[in-house]
Amino acid sequence: MSSIRKITILLIISISLILFFLGSSVYYFLSNYSYADFYKRLEVSVSVAEKRHFESNQKDAQVLKNIREEHLELLSDEKEYILYCPSETAIKQIAETNSIPINLLNLVYTQKFANFQKDDIFYYGKKRETPKGFYFVIVSAKNYYNSHHLILLRKVLLVGGFISILIIIYLTYLFSKRFFDPIDKIITKVNSISTDNIHLRLDDIKNTDEIKRLTTTFNNLLNRIEIAFETNKNFISNASHEFGTPLTAIIGEADVALLKDRTPVEYKEALQKILKQSERLNKISQSLLFLAQIGYKENKFNYSIIRTDELILQANEIMNQLIPKNNIKIDFELLPENPKKLKVMGNKDLLMLAITNILTNACKYSSNKPVIVSLASTNNEIVLIIKDQGIGIPESELPFIFDPFFRASNTAAYDGYGIGLPLSQNIIKIHKGELMINSVLHKGVTVQVKLPIAIL
Amino acid sequence: MEKKILIPIDFRVESLNTLKYALDDLKQEKSNIILMYSEYISDSITELLFYDPAKKIRELASSDFNDAIAIINNTHESSLHTIKIELFNGLNKNAFLNFYEAHAIDLIYLPKDYCLKPHKNGFDPTPLIKKSKVEYKEVAWASDLPTTNKDELTQLFK
Repeated sequence: MSSIRKITILLIISISLILFFLGSSVYYFLSNYSYADFYKRLEVSVSVAEKRHFESNQKDAQVLKNIREEHLELLSDEKEYILYCPSETAIKQIAETNSIPINLLNLVYTQKFANFQKDDIFYYGKKRETPKGFYFVIVSAKNYYNSHHLILLRKVLLVGGFISILIIIYLTYLFSKRFFDPIDKIITKVNSISTDNIHLRLDDIKNTDEIKRLTTTFNNLLNRIEIAFETNKNFISNASHEFGTPLTAIIGEADVALLKDRTPVEYKEALQKILKQSERLNKISQSLLFLAQIGYKENKFNYSIIRTDELILQANEIMNQLIPKNNIKIDFELLPENPKKLKVMGNKDLLMLAITNILTNACKYSSNKPVIVSLASTNNEIVLIIKDQGIGIPESELPFIFDPFFRASNTAAYDGYGIGLPLSQNIIKIHKGELMINSVLHKGVTVQVKLPIAIL
Repeated sequence: MEKKILIPIDFRVESLNTLKYALDDLKQEKSNIILMYSEYISDSITELLFYDPAKKIRELASSDFNDAIAIINNTHESSLHTIKIELFNGLNKNAFLNFYEAHAIDLIYLPKDYCLKPHKNGFDPTPLIKKSKVEYKEVAWASDLPTTNKDELTQLFK
């Protein structure tokens, strides 16, 4: 709720300021203009009066009067004064008899013309000098526009400003509520998800804005967390199973051997079986240790520049020794012409281990059907593709194939304990590469390895 | 003399196999490639106003597709001069012949068994090209290996 309030207050303050500046500038400039305009009109009246009195004969004066009456709008409370002033000392007396502000007369006397305001009456005066002395020509009027229109404008601006601020408060509250409500909902929902109900997901939102992206991000995160949970559970059950099987065999063998007295040959046989199972146990624990080491030793391996095509050829030779019946076909058709694009930075032994692991899997689970190994390179990665025609992996089990000790449900007939692929993935990962697996059940598996090309 | 080759595509990695086999067929002959994607142009005047072929191509080309082009480019670096993607918006034979002449195409390669699967608003120009009585060659590749329906880089490796 605090962000709603923050945004509302911020918007209200800024918009009120803008409105205030707009309103006051409209008012200020308009009233300024109206004063200037009104004095100009008074000035016109003064000059007409002056002309009528001093510069024309009877007939012209009549004409001027007619024109003035017909064409010039009479101002409200307009009064015209032609005051004879014989000397400076008479000014005060003139002012008193005509009830004209003395300051105006003084100003006119010194500046020859002047404007003046007293209460709501506006004056414009001019000094006319004649040989006999001088005259004051003064016109006074009330500024109707100023007293009525400007007051109305002020009211409109105040009331309008107030109403629009109310509307803005309402709208900003409405909008911010609209924006923050979904976020509130998401927060409540995410808070309600705990380890017990990790399968729950946020509801899908129809529109395509950031909220939708936030929901999808949360859902993806939850997916990953759920998989991690699952992995943990799987690991424990798989590991105890892998360790348990040889242990049960050892215990059973020892039990049977101790049941009664045996001949030395029988003891020897029993001990050999126990030794075999123990070796298997040892192998499992060693490979597990290795898997863990790769995880935390990341920076301690020696890196050098390796040509991937050579690496694959050597891996093939190793495979020929390990599985003499293998049917690996190397396809260098898409090899780049430039050998620089085949070089990667990496630890040769580790990469070799990763590749031979993948190749062993491919041969093993396809019962030595053809395995095609292709190598190519884009502008920044080498792409290694290993395709087999084996039993494939059920689609529902694809997310777990990189879990240690996990074995797909259709692999019971094949020997193994589920360490090879996670190990390969860790190795590729510490080389900043990517290992992707695609599979069609009963048709085969495609492994795609991408490694960044070394910058020479 | 560099040859100008036209290959219809559908922005899926698999359609680039035509290019791969065409380059094998050309054997080191220097060539410029035009990858042609055909689509109906919009009737809407506002859409036409903001029509940008380069942007359209960027939208259509997935990262796997770009990787696949890079792979082929690297494989034939010495003989392959340029690869360009062009959009073809024509509807009939004459429009195609115009395109053919404007780009001074020497030879067209078409996929024999693979049927182009264009995206929304796109169409398969193969019948149009065959009808136009210009020189074309067909290339075939086996697609018996397991593939998923997804469009991915592995489809180039056949």
